[in-house]
Amino acid sequence: MSSEVIVVEGVVLRFPRQRNIISIIADFIRKRKRNFTALNGINLSINKGEIIGIIGTNGCGKSTLLRIISGIYIPDKGVCKVAGNISLLAGLGAGFSSHQTGRENAILYGSVLGYGEEKIKEKLPEIISFSELDEFIDEPIRTYSAGMKARLGLAVASAIQPDILLIDEVLGVGDPTFKKKSTDRIIEMVEDAGTVVIVSHSFGMLSNICNRLILIDNGKIVAEGEPSSVIREYHDRAAARKGDNK
Amino acid sequence: MSVEDESPNLSIVGERSPVWKAPISHIGDIISNSFLVRNLVRSQIRGKFRNAMLGYAWSVIEPTLLSVVYYFLFSMLAGNPDQYYAVWVLIGVIIWGCFGKSLMASVTSLSGNSRMIHLVFFPRIIFPTTAVCANIVLTAMSSLVVIPIILYYDFTLSIHIILIPISILMAGFLGIGLGLIFAPMNCVQKDVEHLFRFIVRAGFFVSPVMWTYEMALERGVGQVVLWNPMVAPITIARHGLSGKWPDLPFEALLWSFGFALLMWIIGSIVFHKYESAAVKHL
Repeated sequence: MSSEVIVVEGVVLRFPRQRNIISIIADFIRKRKRNFTALNGINLSINKGEIIGIIGTNGCGKSTLLRIISGIYIPDKGVCKVAGNISLLAGLGAGFSSHQTGRENAILYGSVLGYGEEKIKEKLPEIISFSELDEFIDEPIRTYSAGMKARLGLAVASAIQPDILLIDEVLGVGDPTFKKKSTDRIIEMVEDAGTVVIVSHSFGMLSNICNRLILIDNGKIVAEGEPSSVIREYHDRAAARKGDNK
Repeated sequence: MSVEDESPNLSIVGERSPVWKAPISHIGDIISNSFLVRNLVRSQIRGKFRNAMLGYAWSVIEPTLLSVVYYFLFSMLAGNPDQYYAVWVLIGVIIWGCFGKSLMASVTSLSGNSRMIHLVFFPRIIFPTTAVCANIVLTAMSSLVVIPIILYYDFTLSIHIILIPISILMAGFLGIGLGLIFAPMNCVQKDVEHLFRFIVRAGFFVSPVMWTYEMALERGVGQVVLWNPMVAPITIARHGLSGKWPDLPFEALLWSFGFALLMWIIGSIVFHKYESAAVKHL
Protein backbone atom coordinates (compact mmCIF):
# COMPACT_ATOMS: atom_id res chain seq x y z
CA MET A 1 0.00 0.00 0.00
CA SER A 2 2.51 2.56 -1.00
CA SER A 3 2.09 5.30 -3.54
CA GLU A 4 4.87 6.75 -5.58
CA VAL A 5 5.64 10.42 -5.04
CA ILE A 6 8.77 10.70 -7.15
CA VAL A 7 9.22 8.85 -10.42
CA VAL A 8 12.31 9.37 -12.52
CA GLU A 9 12.24 7.66 -15.90
CA GLY A 10 15.30 7.38 -18.11
CA VAL A 11 16.62 10.82 -17.26
CA VAL A 12 19.63 11.99 -19.22
CA LEU A 13 21.21 15.36 -18.57
CA ARG A 14 24.16 16.78 -20.45
CA PHE A 15 26.05 19.90 -19.58
CA PRO A 16 27.63 21.97 -22.31
CA ARG A 17 31.32 22.54 -21.86
CA GLN A 18 32.67 26.03 -21.59
CA ARG A 19 34.46 26.74 -24.84
CA ASN A 20 36.26 29.58 -26.47
CA ILE A 21 35.36 30.98 -29.84
CA ILE A 22 38.01 29.01 -31.77
CA SER A 23 36.91 25.64 -30.47
CA ILE A 24 33.25 26.54 -31.09
CA ILE A 25 34.05 27.22 -34.75
CA ALA A 26 36.24 24.11 -34.98
CA ASP A 27 33.50 21.93 -33.48
CA PHE A 28 30.91 23.49 -35.73
CA ILE A 29 32.95 22.70 -38.83
CA ARG A 30 33.58 19.13 -37.70
CA LYS A 31 29.90 18.79 -36.69
CA ARG A 32 30.97 17.59 -33.29
CA LYS A 33 29.14 18.19 -30.06
CA ARG A 34 31.10 18.27 -26.87
CA ASN A 35 29.07 17.70 -23.78
CA PHE A 36 29.52 16.30 -20.35
CA THR A 37 26.92 13.70 -19.48
CA ALA A 38 26.07 14.23 -15.83
CA LEU A 39 23.15 11.81 -15.63
CA ASN A 40 22.95 8.88 -17.98
CA GLY A 41 19.61 7.12 -17.87
CA ILE A 42 18.45 7.32 -14.28
CA ASN A 43 15.39 5.29 -13.32
CA LEU A 44 14.09 5.69 -9.84
CA SER A 45 10.84 5.53 -7.97
CA ILE A 46 10.34 6.70 -4.44
CA ASN A 47 7.30 5.99 -2.32
CA LYS A 48 5.53 8.20 0.11
CA GLY A 49 7.07 8.21 3.58
CA GLU A 50 10.44 6.82 2.52
CA ILE A 51 13.78 8.27 3.54
CA ILE A 52 16.21 7.73 0.71
CA GLY A 53 19.90 8.37 0.89
CA ILE A 54 21.97 9.00 -2.22
CA ILE A 55 25.67 8.31 -2.05
CA GLY A 56 28.52 8.36 -4.52
CA THR A 57 31.88 9.91 -5.16
CA ASN A 58 32.23 13.64 -5.78
CA GLY A 59 30.89 14.73 -9.15
CA CYS A 60 28.97 11.53 -9.81
CA GLY A 61 25.69 13.38 -10.31
CA LYS A 62 24.03 13.19 -6.89
CA SER A 63 23.30 16.90 -6.58
CA THR A 64 22.30 17.11 -10.22
CA LEU A 65 19.68 14.42 -9.63
CA LEU A 66 18.19 16.44 -6.78
CA ARG A 67 18.17 19.50 -9.03
CA ILE A 68 16.29 17.54 -11.68
CA ILE A 69 13.69 16.49 -9.11
CA SER A 70 13.28 20.03 -7.85
CA GLY A 71 12.95 21.47 -11.35
CA ILE A 72 16.16 23.47 -11.56
CA TYR A 73 17.34 21.52 -14.60
CA ILE A 74 15.07 20.16 -17.28
CA PRO A 75 16.25 16.70 -18.40
CA ASP A 76 17.45 16.35 -21.98
CA LYS A 77 15.77 12.96 -22.21
CA GLY A 78 13.27 11.19 -20.00
CA VAL A 79 10.85 12.62 -17.50
CA CYS A 80 10.68 13.26 -13.83
CA LYS A 81 7.29 13.23 -12.15
CA VAL A 82 6.43 14.21 -8.63
CA ALA A 83 3.34 14.45 -6.47
CA GLY A 84 3.09 17.27 -3.98
CA ASN A 85 5.23 20.27 -3.28
CA ILE A 86 8.98 20.00 -3.05
CA SER A 87 11.56 21.87 -1.12
CA LEU A 88 15.24 21.60 -1.90
CA LEU A 89 17.55 22.26 0.98
CA ALA A 90 20.94 22.98 -0.50
CA GLY A 91 23.62 25.40 0.54
CA LEU A 92 21.44 26.61 3.37
CA GLY A 93 20.39 30.19 3.14
CA ALA A 94 20.41 30.69 -0.61
CA GLY A 95 19.27 34.22 -1.07
CA PHE A 96 20.01 35.35 2.45
CA SER A 97 20.85 39.01 2.29
CA SER A 98 23.55 39.81 4.77
CA HIS A 99 22.38 43.31 5.66
CA GLN A 100 18.90 42.25 6.74
CA THR A 101 18.00 40.79 10.10
CA GLY A 102 17.44 37.13 10.83
CA ARG A 103 13.71 37.71 11.05
CA GLU A 104 13.57 39.47 7.68
CA ASN A 105 15.71 36.78 6.14
CA ALA A 106 13.46 34.07 7.52
CA ILE A 107 10.57 35.70 5.66
CA LEU A 108 12.69 36.23 2.53
CA TYR A 109 13.99 32.66 2.52
CA GLY A 110 10.52 31.31 3.18
CA SER A 111 9.18 33.17 0.18
CA VAL A 112 12.14 32.01 -1.93
CA LEU A 113 11.20 28.45 -1.02
CA GLY A 114 7.74 29.19 -2.36
CA TYR A 115 5.54 29.84 0.64
CA GLY A 116 2.90 32.48 0.97
CA GLU A 117 2.70 35.43 3.30
CA GLU A 118 0.18 34.00 5.78
CA LYS A 119 1.94 30.67 6.09
CA ILE A 120 5.29 32.27 6.89
CA LYS A 121 3.80 34.70 9.41
CA GLU A 122 2.04 31.79 11.08
CA LYS A 123 5.22 29.71 11.26
CA LEU A 124 7.58 32.52 12.26
CA PRO A 125 7.47 31.98 16.06
CA GLU A 126 8.15 28.29 15.53
CA ILE A 127 11.04 29.04 13.17
CA ILE A 128 12.62 31.45 15.63
CA SER A 129 12.35 29.06 18.53
CA PHE A 130 13.74 26.14 16.50
CA SER A 131 16.69 28.20 15.26
CA GLU A 132 17.67 28.95 18.89
CA LEU A 133 18.89 32.38 17.83
CA ASP A 134 17.02 34.16 20.63
CA GLU A 135 17.92 37.85 20.65
CA PHE A 136 20.18 37.50 17.58
CA ILE A 137 17.12 37.10 15.40
CA ASP A 138 16.86 40.88 15.09
CA GLU A 139 20.55 41.34 14.27
CA PRO A 140 21.79 41.55 10.69
CA ILE A 141 22.75 38.18 9.23
CA ARG A 142 26.30 39.34 8.49
CA THR A 143 27.01 39.12 12.23
CA TYR A 144 26.03 35.43 12.28
CA SER A 145 28.40 32.52 12.29
CA ALA A 146 28.12 29.88 9.56
CA GLY A 147 26.42 27.53 12.02
CA MET A 148 23.85 30.15 13.01
CA LYS A 149 22.98 30.81 9.38
CA ALA A 150 22.60 27.11 8.75
CA ARG A 151 20.35 26.77 11.78
CA LEU A 152 18.10 29.55 10.55
CA GLY A 153 18.03 28.05 7.09
CA LEU A 154 17.09 24.62 8.34
CA ALA A 155 14.51 26.09 10.70
CA VAL A 156 12.78 27.86 7.82
CA ALA A 157 13.06 25.00 5.37
CA SER A 158 11.74 22.40 7.76
CA ALA A 159 9.00 24.55 9.29
CA ILE A 160 7.14 24.82 6.07
CA GLN A 161 6.46 21.08 5.88
CA PRO A 162 6.88 20.29 2.23
CA ASP A 163 5.49 16.97 1.01
CA ILE A 164 8.92 16.13 -0.32
CA LEU A 165 12.12 17.39 1.23
CA LEU A 166 15.36 17.14 -0.71
CA ILE A 167 18.51 17.66 1.33
CA ASP A 168 21.88 18.24 -0.27
CA GLU A 169 24.84 17.94 2.08
CA VAL A 170 23.58 20.37 4.63
CA LEU A 171 23.21 18.22 7.68
CA GLY A 172 26.10 17.97 10.01
CA VAL A 173 26.35 21.69 10.46
CA GLY A 174 26.26 23.35 13.81
CA ASP A 175 27.21 21.94 17.16
CA PRO A 176 26.48 18.32 18.13
CA THR A 177 23.29 19.24 19.99
CA PHE A 178 21.88 20.98 16.97
CA LYS A 179 23.01 18.14 14.72
CA LYS A 180 20.94 15.75 16.77
CA LYS A 181 18.05 18.17 16.82
CA SER A 182 18.08 18.54 13.05
CA THR A 183 18.23 14.79 12.52
CA ASP A 184 15.30 14.39 14.92
CA ARG A 185 13.43 17.07 13.04
CA ILE A 186 13.85 15.27 9.75
CA ILE A 187 12.66 12.00 11.22
CA GLU A 188 9.69 13.92 12.63
CA MET A 189 8.93 15.30 9.18
CA VAL A 190 8.92 11.83 7.75
CA GLU A 191 6.51 10.73 10.43
CA ASP A 192 4.19 13.48 9.20
CA ALA A 193 3.99 11.40 6.03
CA GLY A 194 6.67 13.42 4.29
CA THR A 195 9.23 11.97 1.96
CA VAL A 196 12.89 12.78 2.26
CA VAL A 197 15.79 12.37 -0.14
CA ILE A 198 19.22 13.03 1.34
CA VAL A 199 22.53 13.43 -0.43
CA SER A 200 25.33 13.00 2.01
CA HIS A 201 28.74 11.56 2.68
CA SER A 202 28.07 10.79 6.33
CA PHE A 203 27.27 7.10 5.99
CA GLY A 204 26.71 6.71 9.71
CA MET A 205 23.80 9.09 9.72
CA LEU A 206 22.41 7.73 6.48
CA SER A 207 22.36 4.13 7.69
CA ASN A 208 20.61 5.30 10.85
CA ILE A 209 17.76 7.19 9.26
CA CYS A 210 17.34 5.87 5.71
CA ASN A 211 15.17 2.99 4.58
CA ARG A 212 17.01 2.68 1.34
CA LEU A 213 20.25 3.88 -0.17
CA ILE A 214 21.09 4.55 -3.77
CA LEU A 215 24.62 4.49 -5.10
CA ILE A 216 25.34 6.61 -8.16
CA ASP A 217 28.48 6.23 -10.20
CA ASN A 218 29.21 8.15 -13.41
CA GLY A 219 25.62 9.30 -13.76
CA LYS A 220 24.12 5.84 -13.37
CA ILE A 221 22.46 4.07 -10.49
CA VAL A 222 24.72 1.12 -9.75
CA ALA A 223 23.30 -0.16 -6.49
CA GLU A 224 20.07 0.27 -4.62
CA GLY A 225 18.64 -1.24 -1.46
CA GLU A 226 19.52 -2.04 2.14
CA PRO A 227 21.86 0.68 3.52
CA SER A 228 24.56 -1.69 4.77
CA SER A 229 24.87 -3.55 1.48
CA VAL A 230 24.93 -0.36 -0.61
CA ILE A 231 27.63 1.13 1.61
CA ARG A 232 29.64 -2.08 1.22
CA GLU A 233 29.25 -1.80 -2.55
CA TYR A 234 30.52 1.79 -2.36
CA HIS A 235 33.63 0.71 -0.49
CA ASP A 236 34.20 -2.21 -2.87
CA ARG A 237 34.07 0.16 -5.83
CA ALA A 238 36.36 2.64 -4.11
CA ALA A 239 38.83 -0.15 -3.42
CA ALA A 240 38.62 -1.39 -7.01
CA ARG A 241 39.28 2.12 -8.30
CA LYS A 242 42.30 2.43 -6.06
CA GLY A 243 43.51 -0.91 -7.41
CA ASP A 244 43.13 0.33 -10.99
CA ASN A 245 45.18 3.39 -10.28
CA LYS A 246 48.04 1.31 -8.94
CA MET B 1 2.25 -1.62 -10.41
CA SER B 2 2.20 1.01 -13.08
CA VAL B 3 2.54 4.67 -12.35
CA GLU B 4 -0.79 5.64 -13.80
CA ASP B 5 -2.84 3.37 -11.53
CA GLU B 6 -1.03 4.14 -8.33
CA SER B 7 -0.52 7.89 -8.35
CA PRO B 8 -2.86 9.84 -10.54
CA ASN B 9 -1.62 13.07 -8.99
CA LEU B 10 1.94 12.77 -10.27
CA SER B 11 2.84 15.72 -12.40
CA ILE B 12 5.83 16.23 -14.64
CA VAL B 13 8.54 18.45 -13.17
CA GLY B 14 9.22 21.55 -15.21
CA GLU B 15 6.37 21.00 -17.64
CA ARG B 16 6.04 24.22 -19.54
CA SER B 17 3.16 26.09 -21.02
CA PRO B 18 3.28 26.54 -24.80
CA VAL B 19 5.80 29.08 -25.97
CA TRP B 20 3.28 31.39 -27.60
CA LYS B 21 1.53 31.85 -24.26
CA ALA B 22 4.71 33.13 -22.61
CA PRO B 23 3.86 36.87 -22.64
CA ILE B 24 0.72 36.10 -20.62
CA SER B 25 1.98 33.17 -18.54
CA HIS B 26 4.96 35.19 -17.33
CA ILE B 27 2.62 37.87 -16.03
CA GLY B 28 0.68 35.12 -14.27
CA ASP B 29 3.91 33.82 -12.69
CA ILE B 30 4.79 37.30 -11.49
CA ILE B 31 1.37 37.84 -9.94
CA SER B 32 1.29 34.46 -8.20
CA ASN B 33 4.77 35.11 -6.79
CA SER B 34 4.13 38.72 -5.85
CA PHE B 35 5.04 38.15 -2.21
CA LEU B 36 8.43 36.81 -3.27
CA VAL B 37 8.94 39.71 -5.69
CA ARG B 38 8.11 42.19 -2.92
CA ASN B 39 10.58 40.59 -0.53
CA LEU B 40 13.36 40.43 -3.10
CA VAL B 41 12.80 44.04 -4.20
CA ARG B 42 12.89 45.20 -0.59
CA SER B 43 16.09 43.28 -0.02
CA GLN B 44 17.73 44.82 -3.09
CA ILE B 45 16.75 48.35 -2.16
CA ARG B 46 17.88 47.88 1.42
CA GLY B 47 21.16 46.50 0.14
CA LYS B 48 21.79 49.58 -1.91
CA PHE B 49 21.54 51.99 0.98
CA ARG B 50 23.03 49.88 3.75
CA ASN B 51 25.71 51.38 5.95
CA ALA B 52 24.96 54.88 4.69
CA MET B 53 24.11 57.48 7.27
CA LEU B 54 21.82 59.37 4.95
CA GLY B 55 20.38 56.11 3.62
CA TYR B 56 17.41 56.55 1.34
CA ALA B 57 18.01 60.31 1.17
CA TRP B 58 20.86 59.54 -1.24
CA SER B 59 18.38 58.67 -3.95
CA VAL B 60 17.29 62.32 -3.91
CA ILE B 61 20.60 63.92 -2.94
CA GLU B 62 22.43 62.43 -5.91
CA PRO B 63 20.15 63.86 -8.62
CA THR B 64 19.92 67.15 -6.72
CA LEU B 65 23.68 67.57 -6.69
CA LEU B 66 23.76 66.50 -10.31
CA SER B 67 21.23 69.15 -11.21
CA VAL B 68 23.33 71.80 -9.45
CA VAL B 69 26.29 70.74 -11.57
CA TYR B 70 24.22 70.92 -14.75
CA TYR B 71 22.89 74.29 -13.69
CA PHE B 72 26.36 75.78 -13.45
CA LEU B 73 27.67 73.97 -16.45
CA PHE B 74 24.96 74.92 -18.89
CA SER B 75 23.06 77.93 -17.58
CA MET B 76 26.09 79.94 -16.49
CA LEU B 77 29.15 78.86 -18.42
CA ALA B 78 27.55 78.14 -21.75
CA GLY B 79 24.98 80.87 -21.35
CA ASN B 80 22.28 78.66 -22.75
CA PRO B 81 19.19 80.63 -23.76
CA ASP B 82 16.78 78.08 -22.29
CA GLN B 83 16.85 78.73 -18.56
CA TYR B 84 15.32 75.30 -17.91
CA TYR B 85 17.95 73.41 -19.89
CA ALA B 86 19.60 72.04 -16.72
CA VAL B 87 16.22 70.70 -15.59
CA TRP B 88 15.57 69.00 -18.92
CA VAL B 89 18.98 67.36 -18.79
CA LEU B 90 18.34 66.14 -15.28
CA ILE B 91 14.99 64.62 -16.25
CA GLY B 92 16.69 63.02 -19.23
CA VAL B 93 19.40 61.55 -17.03
CA ILE B 94 16.87 60.12 -14.59
CA ILE B 95 14.60 58.53 -17.21
CA TRP B 96 17.46 57.28 -19.38
CA GLY B 97 19.14 55.94 -16.25
CA CYS B 98 16.00 54.00 -15.41
CA PHE B 99 15.95 52.46 -18.88
CA GLY B 100 19.67 51.74 -18.99
CA LYS B 101 19.80 50.17 -15.53
CA SER B 102 16.65 48.14 -16.18
CA LEU B 103 18.10 46.87 -19.44
CA MET B 104 21.43 45.90 -17.88
CA ALA B 105 19.72 44.34 -14.87
CA SER B 106 17.52 42.19 -17.15
CA VAL B 107 20.39 41.13 -19.38
CA THR B 108 22.43 40.04 -16.35
CA SER B 109 19.48 38.72 -14.35
CA LEU B 110 20.26 35.04 -14.97
CA SER B 111 24.04 35.17 -15.08
CA GLY B 112 24.21 37.34 -11.97
CA ASN B 113 22.06 35.03 -9.87
CA SER B 114 23.76 31.75 -10.67
CA ARG B 115 24.12 30.78 -7.01
CA MET B 116 20.45 31.23 -6.29
CA ILE B 117 19.44 29.52 -9.54
CA HIS B 118 21.42 26.43 -8.57
CA LEU B 119 19.96 26.19 -5.12
CA VAL B 120 16.25 26.94 -5.36
CA PHE B 121 13.66 26.80 -8.01
CA PHE B 122 11.01 29.38 -8.76
CA PRO B 123 9.90 30.85 -12.09
CA ARG B 124 13.01 32.47 -13.52
CA ILE B 125 11.08 35.47 -14.83
CA ILE B 126 11.13 36.58 -11.17
CA PHE B 127 14.84 37.50 -11.47
CA PRO B 128 14.54 40.19 -14.17
CA THR B 129 11.20 41.32 -12.74
CA THR B 130 12.72 41.89 -9.32
CA ALA B 131 15.70 43.75 -10.71
CA VAL B 132 13.56 46.03 -12.84
CA CYS B 133 10.99 46.65 -10.09
CA ALA B 134 13.77 47.63 -7.68
CA ASN B 135 15.07 49.97 -10.35
CA ILE B 136 11.69 51.56 -10.91
CA VAL B 137 11.24 52.13 -7.18
CA LEU B 138 14.70 53.71 -6.92
CA THR B 139 14.04 55.92 -9.94
CA ALA B 140 10.70 56.96 -8.48
CA MET B 141 12.52 57.96 -5.29
CA SER B 142 15.09 59.91 -7.31
CA SER B 143 12.35 61.68 -9.21
CA LEU B 144 11.29 63.32 -5.95
CA VAL B 145 14.04 65.76 -6.92
CA VAL B 146 11.38 67.51 -8.98
CA ILE B 147 9.96 68.94 -5.73
CA PRO B 148 12.90 71.30 -5.08
CA ILE B 149 12.96 72.06 -8.81
CA ILE B 150 9.30 73.02 -8.83
CA LEU B 151 9.90 75.29 -5.84
CA TYR B 152 13.04 76.87 -7.28
CA TYR B 153 11.76 77.48 -10.79
CA ASP B 154 8.20 78.34 -9.77
CA PHE B 155 6.62 75.63 -11.89
CA THR B 156 2.94 75.19 -11.22
CA LEU B 157 2.20 71.78 -9.82
CA SER B 158 -0.61 70.18 -11.81
CA ILE B 159 -2.16 66.84 -12.66
CA HIS B 160 0.30 66.61 -15.57
CA ILE B 161 2.96 65.54 -13.10
CA ILE B 162 1.60 61.98 -13.37
CA LEU B 163 3.38 61.85 -16.71
CA ILE B 164 6.64 61.41 -14.77
CA PRO B 165 5.70 58.08 -13.13
CA ILE B 166 4.17 56.96 -16.44
CA SER B 167 7.41 57.73 -18.19
CA ILE B 168 9.42 55.84 -15.55
CA LEU B 169 7.20 52.79 -16.00
CA MET B 170 7.53 53.00 -19.78
CA ALA B 171 11.32 53.17 -19.53
CA GLY B 172 11.43 50.20 -17.15
CA PHE B 173 9.04 48.16 -19.29
CA LEU B 174 11.07 48.80 -22.42
CA GLY B 175 14.21 47.83 -20.53
CA ILE B 176 12.86 44.49 -19.32
CA GLY B 177 11.45 43.54 -22.72
CA LEU B 178 14.70 44.18 -24.54
CA GLY B 179 16.75 42.64 -21.74
CA LEU B 180 14.75 39.39 -21.70
CA ILE B 181 15.71 38.71 -25.30
CA PHE B 182 19.38 38.66 -24.38
CA ALA B 183 19.36 37.33 -20.81
CA PRO B 184 19.66 33.63 -21.86
CA MET B 185 22.38 34.51 -24.37
CA ASN B 186 24.39 36.23 -21.66
CA CYS B 187 24.56 32.93 -19.73
CA VAL B 188 26.36 31.34 -22.66
CA GLN B 189 28.67 34.18 -23.61
CA LYS B 190 29.31 37.12 -21.33
CA ASP B 191 30.19 39.24 -24.38
CA VAL B 192 26.52 40.18 -24.56
CA GLU B 193 26.80 42.06 -21.30
CA HIS B 194 29.83 44.04 -22.47
CA LEU B 195 28.12 44.88 -25.74
CA PHE B 196 25.04 46.14 -23.92
CA ARG B 197 27.09 48.28 -21.58
CA PHE B 198 28.40 50.01 -24.69
CA ILE B 199 24.92 50.29 -26.22
CA VAL B 200 23.58 51.98 -23.08
CA ARG B 201 26.46 54.48 -23.13
CA ALA B 202 26.07 55.22 -26.83
CA GLY B 203 22.29 55.41 -26.54
CA PHE B 204 22.71 58.18 -24.01
CA PHE B 205 23.76 60.51 -26.84
CA VAL B 206 21.32 59.20 -29.44
CA SER B 207 18.42 59.69 -27.04
CA PRO B 208 17.22 63.08 -25.86
CA VAL B 209 19.22 63.21 -22.64
CA MET B 210 21.52 66.12 -23.43
CA TRP B 211 19.12 67.50 -26.02
CA THR B 212 15.36 67.87 -26.23
CA TYR B 213 12.72 67.00 -28.79
CA GLU B 214 12.16 70.72 -29.33
CA MET B 215 15.83 71.19 -30.27
CA ALA B 216 15.51 68.37 -32.79
CA LEU B 217 12.41 70.05 -34.23
CA GLU B 218 14.29 73.34 -34.65
CA ARG B 219 16.99 71.55 -36.59
CA GLY B 220 14.34 69.86 -38.71
CA VAL B 221 15.07 66.31 -37.58
CA GLY B 222 12.00 65.98 -35.36
CA GLN B 223 10.51 63.26 -37.52
CA VAL B 224 13.70 61.22 -37.55
CA VAL B 225 14.34 61.22 -33.81
CA LEU B 226 10.79 60.04 -33.09
CA TRP B 227 11.86 56.60 -34.36
CA ASN B 228 13.87 56.27 -31.16
CA PRO B 229 11.40 54.68 -28.71
CA MET B 230 13.04 56.47 -25.78
CA VAL B 231 12.19 59.93 -27.14
CA ALA B 232 8.56 59.64 -26.05
CA PRO B 233 9.14 58.64 -22.38
CA ILE B 234 11.75 61.32 -21.79
CA THR B 235 9.75 64.00 -23.57
CA ILE B 236 6.47 63.27 -21.79
CA ALA B 237 8.26 63.48 -18.42
CA ARG B 238 9.61 66.92 -19.38
CA HIS B 239 6.24 68.11 -20.62
CA GLY B 240 4.57 66.74 -17.50
CA LEU B 241 6.90 68.75 -15.30
CA SER B 242 6.29 71.93 -17.26
CA GLY B 243 2.56 71.42 -16.77
CA LYS B 244 1.20 70.31 -20.11
CA TRP B 245 0.09 67.14 -21.83
CA PRO B 246 2.70 65.66 -24.18
CA ASP B 247 3.13 67.87 -27.20
CA LEU B 248 4.14 64.94 -29.42
CA PRO B 249 2.46 63.42 -32.46
CA PHE B 250 0.07 60.71 -31.28
CA GLU B 251 1.78 58.16 -33.54
CA ALA B 252 5.04 58.77 -31.67
CA LEU B 253 3.46 57.81 -28.36
CA LEU B 254 1.77 54.83 -29.96
CA TRP B 255 5.03 53.74 -31.60
CA SER B 256 6.94 53.98 -28.35
CA PHE B 257 4.37 52.03 -26.39
CA GLY B 258 3.84 49.50 -29.17
CA PHE B 259 7.59 48.96 -29.46
CA ALA B 260 7.86 48.31 -25.71
CA LEU B 261 4.96 45.85 -25.90
CA LEU B 262 6.49 44.10 -28.91
CA MET B 263 9.79 43.79 -27.05
CA TRP B 264 7.97 42.25 -24.08
CA ILE B 265 6.25 39.73 -26.35
CA ILE B 266 9.46 38.77 -28.15
CA GLY B 267 11.50 38.93 -24.97
CA SER B 268 9.23 36.74 -22.90
CA ILE B 269 8.98 34.15 -25.68
CA VAL B 270 12.75 34.01 -26.13
CA PHE B 271 13.27 33.90 -22.38
CA HIS B 272 10.71 31.13 -21.93
CA LYS B 273 12.18 29.07 -24.72
CA TYR B 274 15.84 29.31 -23.81
CA GLU B 275 16.24 29.97 -20.08
CA SER B 276 16.23 26.32 -18.99
CA ALA B 277 18.95 25.43 -21.49
CA ALA B 278 20.86 28.60 -20.68
CA VAL B 279 21.13 28.00 -16.93
CA LYS B 280 23.12 24.82 -17.65
CA HIS B 281 25.92 27.10 -18.80
CA LEU B 282 26.12 28.86 -15.45
